Amino acid sequence: MLHEFSYIEPGSLSELLEFLAKYGPESAVFSGGTDLLISIRAGLEKPVYVVDLKKVPELQELNFGSKSGLSIGAAVNVNRVVEHEAVQSHYRILEIAGRELATFQLRNRATVIGNIVTASPCGDMSSPLLCLDAEVELLSASGSRSMLLKEFITGVKKTQIKPEEIVSKITVPTTFMDAAGGYEKLKRIKGHDLGVVAVTMIKTKKTMRVAVSSAAPTPVLLPDFVLDTPVAEIQKVAQAAISPIDDVRCTKEYRRFMVDIYIRRLLEEVQHERGAA
Amino acid sequence: MKSVKVTINGRLYEREVAEHKTLLRFLRDDLGLTGTKEGCGAGECGACMIIMNGVSVNSCMVLAAEANGAEIETVEGVGTNDELSALQDSFHRHHAVQCGFCTPGMIMTATDLLRRTPHPSREEIKDGIEGNFCRCTGYEQIIEAIEDVAGTEDSHA
Repeated sequence: MLHEFSYIEPGSLSELLEFLAKYGPESAVFSGGTDLLISIRAGLEKPVYVVDLKKVPELQELNFGSKSGLSIGAAVNVNRVVEHEAVQSHYRILEIAGRELATFQLRNRATVIGNIVTASPCGDMSSPLLCLDAEVELLSASGSRSMLLKEFITGVKKTQIKPEEIVSKITVPTTFMDAAGGYEKLKRIKGHDLGVVAVTMIKTKKTMRVAVSSAAPTPVLLPDFVLDTPVAEIQKVAQAAISPIDDVRCTKEYRRFMVDIYIRRLLEEVQHERGAA
Repeated sequence: MKSVKVTINGRLYEREVAEHKTLLRFLRDDLGLTGTKEGCGAGECGACMIIMNGVSVNSCMVLAAEANGAEIETVEGVGTNDELSALQDSFHRHHAVQCGFCTPGMIMTATDLLRRTPHPSREEIKDGIEGNFCRCTGYEQIIEAIEDVAGTEDSHA
Protein backbone atom coordinates (compact mmCIF):
# COMPACT_ATOMS: atom_id res chain seq x y z
CA MET A 1 0.00 0.00 0.00
CA LEU A 2 1.17 3.49 -0.74
CA HIS A 3 1.62 6.14 1.91
CA GLU A 4 -1.28 8.62 1.82
CA PHE A 5 -0.98 11.71 -0.32
CA SER A 6 -3.24 14.12 -2.18
CA TYR A 7 -3.33 13.91 -5.94
CA ILE A 8 -3.14 17.30 -7.65
CA GLU A 9 -3.89 17.67 -11.32
CA PRO A 10 -3.17 21.20 -12.60
CA GLY A 11 -4.66 21.99 -16.00
CA SER A 12 -2.28 24.80 -16.91
CA LEU A 13 1.32 25.77 -16.49
CA SER A 14 0.50 28.78 -14.31
CA GLU A 15 -1.69 26.69 -12.01
CA LEU A 16 1.11 24.12 -11.71
CA LEU A 17 3.84 26.67 -11.00
CA GLU A 18 1.73 28.58 -8.48
CA PHE A 19 1.02 25.36 -6.62
CA LEU A 20 4.72 24.49 -6.50
CA ALA A 21 5.59 28.05 -5.41
CA LYS A 22 3.43 27.43 -2.32
CA TYR A 23 3.80 23.74 -1.67
CA GLY A 24 6.97 22.75 -3.56
CA PRO A 25 8.85 21.31 -0.58
CA GLU A 26 5.94 18.97 0.32
CA SER A 27 5.26 18.00 -3.31
CA ALA A 28 6.52 15.34 -5.65
CA VAL A 29 6.16 16.07 -9.33
CA PHE A 30 4.65 13.11 -11.16
CA SER A 31 4.22 12.00 -14.75
CA GLY A 32 4.93 8.33 -15.47
CA GLY A 33 5.45 7.45 -11.83
CA THR A 34 7.83 4.62 -12.68
CA ASP A 35 10.42 5.93 -10.22
CA LEU A 36 8.22 7.94 -7.87
CA LEU A 37 5.61 5.29 -7.05
CA ILE A 38 8.37 2.77 -6.32
CA SER A 39 10.10 5.21 -3.99
CA ILE A 40 6.82 6.05 -2.22
CA ARG A 41 6.01 2.37 -1.87
CA ALA A 42 9.46 1.72 -0.42
CA GLY A 43 8.96 4.58 2.07
CA LEU A 44 11.85 6.56 0.62
CA GLU A 45 9.65 9.50 -0.31
CA LYS A 46 6.63 10.74 1.63
CA PRO A 47 5.14 13.62 -0.34
CA VAL A 48 2.01 15.35 0.93
CA TYR A 49 1.08 16.20 -2.66
CA VAL A 50 1.68 14.24 -5.83
CA VAL A 51 1.43 16.77 -8.65
CA ASP A 52 0.58 15.36 -12.08
CA LEU A 53 2.11 17.12 -15.09
CA LYS A 54 0.18 15.28 -17.78
CA LYS A 55 -2.77 17.68 -18.09
CA VAL A 56 -0.54 20.67 -18.84
CA PRO A 57 -0.61 20.97 -22.65
CA GLU A 58 2.81 22.65 -23.04
CA LEU A 59 4.50 19.80 -21.19
CA GLN A 60 3.15 17.28 -23.73
CA GLU A 61 4.93 19.01 -26.61
CA LEU A 62 7.52 17.19 -28.69
CA ASN A 63 8.88 19.29 -31.56
CA PHE A 64 11.66 19.26 -34.09
CA GLY A 65 12.96 22.09 -36.28
CA SER A 66 15.97 21.91 -38.60
CA LYS A 67 17.41 25.02 -36.90
CA SER A 68 16.03 24.75 -33.38
CA GLY A 69 16.69 21.04 -32.93
CA LEU A 70 14.60 18.69 -30.82
CA SER A 71 12.53 19.80 -27.87
CA ILE A 72 11.05 17.25 -25.45
CA GLY A 73 8.42 18.37 -22.93
CA ALA A 74 8.32 17.13 -19.34
CA ALA A 75 5.32 14.85 -19.80
CA VAL A 76 6.49 13.23 -23.05
CA ASN A 77 6.93 9.50 -22.53
CA VAL A 78 9.89 7.53 -23.86
CA ASN A 79 7.88 5.70 -26.54
CA ARG A 80 6.76 8.97 -28.10
CA VAL A 81 10.40 10.00 -28.42
CA VAL A 82 11.60 6.62 -29.68
CA GLU A 83 8.83 6.53 -32.30
CA HIS A 84 9.21 10.15 -33.44
CA GLU A 85 10.24 10.49 -37.07
CA ALA A 86 12.85 13.21 -36.47
CA VAL A 87 14.42 11.22 -33.64
CA GLN A 88 14.65 8.14 -35.85
CA SER A 89 16.20 10.09 -38.72
CA HIS A 90 18.36 12.70 -36.93
CA TYR A 91 18.98 11.57 -33.37
CA ARG A 92 19.23 7.81 -33.72
CA ILE A 93 21.21 7.43 -30.53
CA LEU A 94 18.13 8.54 -28.57
CA GLU A 95 16.07 5.87 -30.27
CA ILE A 96 18.68 3.16 -29.69
CA ALA A 97 19.17 4.00 -26.00
CA GLY A 98 15.46 4.70 -25.47
CA ARG A 99 14.56 1.18 -26.56
CA GLU A 100 16.92 -0.14 -23.88
CA LEU A 101 15.02 1.71 -21.15
CA ALA A 102 12.86 -0.78 -19.21
CA THR A 103 10.01 -2.41 -21.14
CA PHE A 104 7.61 -1.23 -23.84
CA GLN A 105 4.83 -0.87 -21.27
CA LEU A 106 6.94 1.11 -18.82
CA ARG A 107 8.10 3.31 -21.71
CA ASN A 108 4.42 4.10 -22.30
CA ARG A 109 4.54 5.78 -18.88
CA ALA A 110 8.16 6.71 -18.13
CA THR A 111 9.26 10.11 -19.42
CA VAL A 112 12.64 11.17 -20.80
CA ILE A 113 12.74 14.10 -18.41
CA GLY A 114 11.81 11.90 -15.46
CA ASN A 115 14.82 9.75 -16.30
CA ILE A 116 17.01 12.88 -16.22
CA VAL A 117 15.54 14.41 -13.06
CA THR A 118 15.83 11.10 -11.20
CA ALA A 119 19.55 11.50 -11.97
CA SER A 120 20.38 7.89 -11.38
CA PRO A 121 23.93 7.06 -12.49
CA CYS A 122 22.40 4.33 -14.68
CA GLY A 123 19.66 6.39 -16.38
CA ASP A 124 19.50 5.23 -19.99
CA MET A 125 18.70 8.67 -21.42
CA SER A 126 21.40 10.67 -19.67
CA SER A 127 24.55 9.53 -21.40
CA PRO A 128 23.14 9.91 -24.95
CA LEU A 129 21.70 13.32 -24.06
CA LEU A 130 25.07 14.33 -22.58
CA CYS A 131 26.78 13.37 -25.84
CA LEU A 132 24.28 15.51 -27.75
CA ASP A 133 24.88 18.60 -25.54
CA ALA A 134 21.27 18.67 -24.37
CA GLU A 135 20.09 21.64 -22.36
CA VAL A 136 17.41 21.63 -19.65
CA GLU A 137 14.94 24.43 -19.04
CA LEU A 138 13.85 24.95 -15.43
CA LEU A 139 10.62 26.83 -14.80
CA SER A 140 9.10 28.28 -11.67
CA ALA A 141 6.49 30.93 -10.91
CA SER A 142 9.29 33.47 -10.70
CA GLY A 143 10.93 32.72 -14.04
CA SER A 144 13.01 30.33 -16.08
CA ARG A 145 16.66 29.37 -16.32
CA SER A 146 18.51 27.02 -18.64
CA MET A 147 21.66 25.02 -18.26
CA LEU A 148 23.51 22.19 -19.92
CA LEU A 149 22.48 18.74 -18.76
CA LYS A 150 26.12 18.28 -17.83
CA GLU A 151 25.77 21.01 -15.19
CA PHE A 152 22.27 20.01 -14.14
CA ILE A 153 23.15 16.56 -12.75
CA THR A 154 25.41 17.05 -9.76
CA GLY A 155 25.55 13.67 -8.00
CA VAL A 156 23.79 10.37 -7.31
CA LYS A 157 20.11 11.34 -7.61
CA LYS A 158 21.10 14.98 -7.16
CA THR A 159 20.41 17.84 -9.55
CA GLN A 160 20.19 21.62 -9.45
CA ILE A 161 16.38 21.60 -9.40
CA LYS A 162 14.69 23.56 -6.60
CA PRO A 163 11.46 22.43 -4.91
CA GLU A 164 9.41 25.13 -6.63
CA GLU A 165 10.80 24.29 -10.08
CA ILE A 166 10.08 21.77 -12.79
CA VAL A 167 12.22 20.79 -15.74
CA SER A 168 9.77 21.94 -18.39
CA LYS A 169 11.69 20.72 -21.40
CA ILE A 170 14.96 19.41 -22.66
CA THR A 171 16.39 20.79 -25.89
CA VAL A 172 18.77 18.88 -28.12
CA PRO A 173 20.67 21.27 -30.41
CA THR A 174 21.48 20.51 -34.04
CA THR A 175 25.25 20.34 -33.34
CA PHE A 176 25.36 16.55 -33.41
CA MET A 177 22.38 15.95 -35.67
CA ASP A 178 22.71 12.88 -37.90
CA ALA A 179 25.71 11.59 -35.93
CA ALA A 180 26.40 7.88 -36.18
CA GLY A 181 26.26 6.22 -32.82
CA GLY A 182 25.73 3.27 -30.58
CA TYR A 183 24.78 2.35 -27.03
CA GLU A 184 26.03 -0.73 -25.20
CA LYS A 185 24.46 -1.67 -21.90
CA LEU A 186 25.44 -4.51 -19.61
CA LYS A 187 22.48 -6.19 -17.91
CA ARG A 188 22.19 -9.16 -15.58
CA ILE A 189 19.49 -10.84 -17.67
CA LYS A 190 18.54 -10.89 -21.35
CA GLY A 191 15.27 -9.08 -20.67
CA HIS A 192 14.79 -5.63 -19.21
CA ASP A 193 17.09 -4.56 -16.41
CA LEU A 194 18.82 -1.53 -14.98
CA GLY A 195 22.18 -0.98 -16.61
CA VAL A 196 25.11 -2.48 -14.72
CA VAL A 197 27.34 -0.29 -16.84
CA ALA A 198 26.69 1.42 -20.18
CA VAL A 199 28.62 3.34 -22.83
CA THR A 200 27.32 5.73 -25.50
CA MET A 201 29.41 6.76 -28.50
CA ILE A 202 28.55 9.19 -31.28
CA LYS A 203 30.58 10.19 -34.30
CA THR A 204 30.29 13.15 -36.67
CA LYS A 205 32.59 14.07 -39.56
CA LYS A 206 34.88 15.93 -37.20
CA THR A 207 34.65 14.42 -33.79
CA MET A 208 33.73 11.52 -31.56
CA ARG A 209 32.05 11.69 -28.18
CA VAL A 210 31.79 9.06 -25.48
CA ALA A 211 29.75 8.99 -22.27
CA VAL A 212 29.75 6.29 -19.59
CA SER A 213 26.87 5.45 -17.20
CA SER A 214 26.83 3.52 -13.92
CA ALA A 215 30.55 4.00 -13.43
CA ALA A 216 30.65 7.19 -11.34
CA PRO A 217 28.23 9.22 -9.18
CA THR A 218 26.92 10.84 -12.37
CA PRO A 219 27.00 9.76 -16.00
CA VAL A 220 30.37 10.96 -17.34
CA LEU A 221 30.91 12.73 -20.66
CA LEU A 222 34.51 12.39 -21.81
CA PRO A 223 36.32 15.23 -23.59
CA ASP A 224 35.89 15.19 -27.40
CA PHE A 225 38.12 12.90 -29.43
CA VAL A 226 39.43 13.54 -32.93
CA LEU A 227 38.27 11.00 -35.48
CA ASP A 228 41.19 8.62 -35.66
CA THR A 229 41.95 8.48 -31.95
CA PRO A 230 43.27 4.97 -31.21
CA VAL A 231 41.01 2.76 -29.12
CA ALA A 232 43.64 2.47 -26.38
CA GLU A 233 43.68 6.25 -25.97
CA ILE A 234 39.89 6.47 -25.58
CA GLN A 235 39.99 3.61 -23.08
CA LYS A 236 42.73 5.34 -21.11
CA VAL A 237 40.79 8.62 -20.92
CA ALA A 238 37.61 6.74 -19.93
CA GLN A 239 39.35 4.76 -17.19
CA ALA A 240 40.78 7.95 -15.72
CA ALA A 241 37.39 9.67 -15.77
CA ILE A 242 35.29 6.97 -14.08
CA SER A 243 35.21 5.84 -10.46
CA PRO A 244 33.03 2.72 -10.35
CA ILE A 245 32.01 1.04 -7.10
CA ASP A 246 31.23 -2.51 -6.01
CA ASP A 247 27.50 -3.02 -5.48
CA VAL A 248 24.80 -5.66 -5.61
CA ARG A 249 24.90 -5.65 -9.39
CA CYS A 250 28.63 -6.13 -9.98
CA THR A 251 32.18 -5.34 -8.91
CA LYS A 252 34.09 -2.21 -9.82
CA GLU A 253 36.72 -4.26 -11.65
CA TYR A 254 34.06 -5.83 -13.87
CA ARG A 255 32.60 -2.39 -14.62
CA ARG A 256 36.04 -1.09 -15.64
CA PHE A 257 36.63 -4.18 -17.76
CA MET A 258 33.31 -3.85 -19.60
CA VAL A 259 33.83 -0.14 -20.27
CA ASP A 260 36.95 -1.04 -22.27
CA ILE A 261 35.14 -3.80 -24.13
CA TYR A 262 32.23 -1.54 -25.03
CA ILE A 263 34.50 1.27 -26.21
CA ARG A 264 36.26 -1.14 -28.56
CA ARG A 265 32.96 -2.57 -29.86
CA LEU A 266 31.32 0.80 -30.33
CA LEU A 267 34.34 2.21 -32.10
CA GLU A 268 34.21 -0.65 -34.60
CA GLU A 269 30.46 -0.15 -34.94
CA VAL A 270 30.48 3.61 -35.56
CA GLN A 271 33.39 3.38 -37.95
CA HIS A 272 31.38 1.06 -40.15
CA GLU A 273 28.28 3.20 -40.04
CA ARG A 274 27.72 5.39 -43.03
CA GLY A 275 26.22 8.86 -43.12
CA ALA A 276 27.89 10.41 -40.12
CA ALA A 277 27.27 14.14 -40.29
CA MET B 1 -11.00 11.08 -1.96
CA LYS B 2 -11.56 11.79 -5.61
CA SER B 3 -14.51 11.01 -7.87
CA VAL B 4 -13.57 8.75 -10.71
CA LYS B 5 -15.66 7.83 -13.74
CA VAL B 6 -14.02 5.08 -15.68
CA THR B 7 -15.14 2.65 -18.38
CA ILE B 8 -13.86 -0.85 -17.79
CA ASN B 9 -14.55 -3.56 -20.36
CA GLY B 10 -17.37 -1.42 -21.74
CA ARG B 11 -19.08 -0.80 -18.39
CA LEU B 12 -19.07 2.62 -16.73
CA TYR B 13 -18.08 2.73 -13.05
CA GLU B 14 -18.41 5.82 -10.84
CA ARG B 15 -16.60 5.63 -7.52
CA GLU B 16 -14.96 7.72 -4.85
CA VAL B 17 -11.36 6.61 -4.63
CA ALA B 18 -8.50 7.26 -2.22
CA GLU B 19 -6.03 9.52 -3.99
CA HIS B 20 -3.01 7.41 -3.11
CA LYS B 21 -4.54 4.18 -4.39
CA THR B 22 -3.05 2.51 -7.44
CA LEU B 23 -5.29 1.59 -10.34
CA LEU B 24 -4.41 -2.05 -9.65
CA ARG B 25 -5.70 -1.92 -6.05
CA PHE B 26 -8.78 -0.02 -7.25
CA LEU B 27 -9.59 -2.74 -9.80
CA ARG B 28 -9.03 -5.54 -7.31
CA ASP B 29 -10.21 -4.13 -3.96
CA ASP B 30 -12.89 -1.62 -4.94
CA LEU B 31 -14.35 -3.25 -8.04
CA GLY B 32 -13.61 -6.92 -7.34
CA LEU B 33 -11.92 -7.35 -10.72
CA THR B 34 -9.31 -9.75 -9.38
CA GLY B 35 -8.20 -11.14 -12.73
CA THR B 36 -5.49 -8.48 -12.77
CA LYS B 37 -2.76 -9.68 -10.40
CA GLU B 38 -0.30 -7.94 -8.15
CA GLY B 39 3.13 -9.56 -8.42
CA CYS B 40 5.95 -7.18 -7.58
CA GLY B 41 4.04 -3.90 -7.34
CA ALA B 42 7.07 -2.18 -8.86
CA GLY B 43 6.69 -2.45 -12.63
CA GLU B 44 9.01 -5.43 -12.94
CA CYS B 45 6.80 -8.47 -13.47
CA GLY B 46 3.85 -7.48 -15.68
CA ALA B 47 1.21 -9.51 -13.77
CA CYS B 48 -0.88 -6.33 -13.48
CA MET B 49 -0.88 -5.49 -17.19
CA ILE B 50 -3.99 -3.75 -18.52
CA ILE B 51 -4.81 -1.69 -21.59
CA MET B 52 -5.67 1.93 -20.79
CA ASN B 53 -6.87 4.22 -23.58
CA GLY B 54 -5.49 1.73 -26.08
CA VAL B 55 -2.03 1.56 -24.52
CA SER B 56 -0.66 -1.30 -22.41
CA VAL B 57 0.52 -0.22 -18.96
CA ASN B 58 1.48 -1.80 -15.65
CA SER B 59 -1.53 -0.91 -13.48
CA CYS B 60 0.61 -0.95 -10.32
CA MET B 61 2.37 2.11 -11.75
CA VAL B 62 -0.83 4.11 -12.40
CA LEU B 63 -2.94 5.94 -9.83
CA ALA B 64 -6.68 5.22 -9.82
CA ALA B 65 -7.27 8.99 -9.77
CA GLU B 66 -5.46 9.29 -13.10
CA ALA B 67 -7.89 6.88 -14.71
CA ASN B 68 -10.76 9.38 -14.49
CA GLY B 69 -12.34 9.43 -17.95
CA ALA B 70 -10.26 6.52 -19.19
CA GLU B 71 -11.28 3.43 -21.14
CA ILE B 72 -9.73 0.36 -19.63
CA GLU B 73 -9.52 -3.24 -20.74
CA THR B 74 -8.68 -5.99 -18.28
CA VAL B 75 -8.54 -9.74 -18.68
CA GLU B 76 -12.20 -9.97 -17.59
CA GLY B 77 -13.12 -8.26 -20.87
CA VAL B 78 -11.13 -10.67 -23.04
CA GLY B 79 -13.37 -13.60 -24.00
CA THR B 80 -15.76 -15.41 -21.65
CA ASN B 81 -15.71 -18.82 -19.99
CA ASP B 82 -17.75 -20.15 -22.89
CA GLU B 83 -15.98 -18.31 -25.63
CA LEU B 84 -12.26 -17.75 -25.20
CA SER B 85 -10.38 -15.21 -27.29
CA ALA B 86 -8.11 -16.69 -29.94
CA LEU B 87 -5.12 -16.02 -27.69
CA GLN B 88 -6.71 -17.57 -24.61
CA ASP B 89 -7.65 -20.62 -26.65
CA SER B 90 -4.12 -20.85 -28.00
CA PHE B 91 -2.60 -20.54 -24.49
CA HIS B 92 -4.90 -23.41 -23.48
CA ARG B 93 -3.94 -25.62 -26.42
CA HIS B 94 -0.20 -24.95 -26.08
CA HIS B 95 -0.10 -25.54 -22.31
CA ALA B 96 1.15 -21.97 -21.92
CA VAL B 97 -0.37 -21.87 -18.43
CA GLN B 98 0.94 -23.65 -15.37
CA CYS B 99 0.28 -21.87 -12.09
CA GLY B 100 -1.64 -19.19 -14.01
CA PHE B 101 -0.53 -16.17 -12.02
CA CYS B 102 1.21 -14.44 -14.93
CA THR B 103 -1.44 -15.46 -17.46
CA PRO B 104 -3.85 -12.50 -17.29
CA GLY B 105 -0.96 -10.05 -17.68
CA MET B 106 0.57 -12.17 -20.42
CA ILE B 107 -2.77 -12.25 -22.28
CA MET B 108 -3.14 -8.47 -22.04
CA THR B 109 0.42 -7.89 -23.25
CA ALA B 110 -0.01 -10.32 -26.14
CA THR B 111 -3.40 -8.82 -27.04
CA ASP B 112 -1.81 -5.38 -27.28
CA LEU B 113 1.24 -6.74 -29.13
CA LEU B 114 -0.91 -8.38 -31.82
CA ARG B 115 -2.97 -5.21 -32.28
CA ARG B 116 0.21 -3.23 -32.92
CA THR B 117 2.03 -5.97 -34.81
CA PRO B 118 -0.44 -8.51 -36.22
CA HIS B 119 2.29 -10.84 -37.51
CA PRO B 120 5.25 -10.53 -35.17
CA SER B 121 8.42 -12.52 -35.68
CA ARG B 122 9.61 -14.78 -32.87
CA GLU B 123 12.08 -12.07 -31.83
CA GLU B 124 9.32 -9.47 -31.77
CA ILE B 125 7.23 -11.76 -29.58
CA LYS B 126 10.15 -12.24 -27.19
CA ASP B 127 10.73 -8.47 -27.05
CA GLY B 128 7.01 -7.90 -26.67
CA ILE B 129 6.66 -10.11 -23.57
CA GLU B 130 9.93 -8.90 -22.04
CA GLY B 131 8.01 -7.12 -19.29
CA ASN B 132 6.01 -10.18 -18.23
CA PHE B 133 7.67 -12.72 -15.99
CA CYS B 134 6.63 -16.36 -15.96
CA ARG B 135 8.32 -18.60 -13.38
CA CYS B 136 6.73 -21.87 -14.55
CA THR B 137 6.81 -22.42 -18.27
CA GLY B 138 10.22 -21.19 -19.35
CA TYR B 139 8.29 -19.06 -21.89
CA GLU B 140 8.59 -21.54 -24.76
CA GLN B 141 4.91 -22.54 -24.75
CA ILE B 142 3.82 -18.93 -24.33
CA ILE B 143 5.84 -17.84 -27.36
CA GLU B 144 4.41 -20.76 -29.36
CA ALA B 145 0.87 -19.89 -28.30
CA ILE B 146 1.29 -16.31 -29.50
CA GLU B 147 3.02 -17.42 -32.71
CA ASP B 148 0.14 -19.75 -33.43
CA VAL B 149 -2.42 -16.92 -33.24
CA ALA B 150 -0.15 -14.51 -35.11
CA GLY B 151 0.16 -16.98 -37.95
CA THR B 152 -3.62 -17.38 -38.22
CA GLU B 153 -5.57 -15.14 -40.55
CA ASP B 154 -8.31 -12.95 -38.94
CA SER B 155 -7.19 -13.66 -35.42
CA HIS B 156 -9.61 -12.33 -32.83
CA ALA B 157 -6.77 -11.31 -30.57
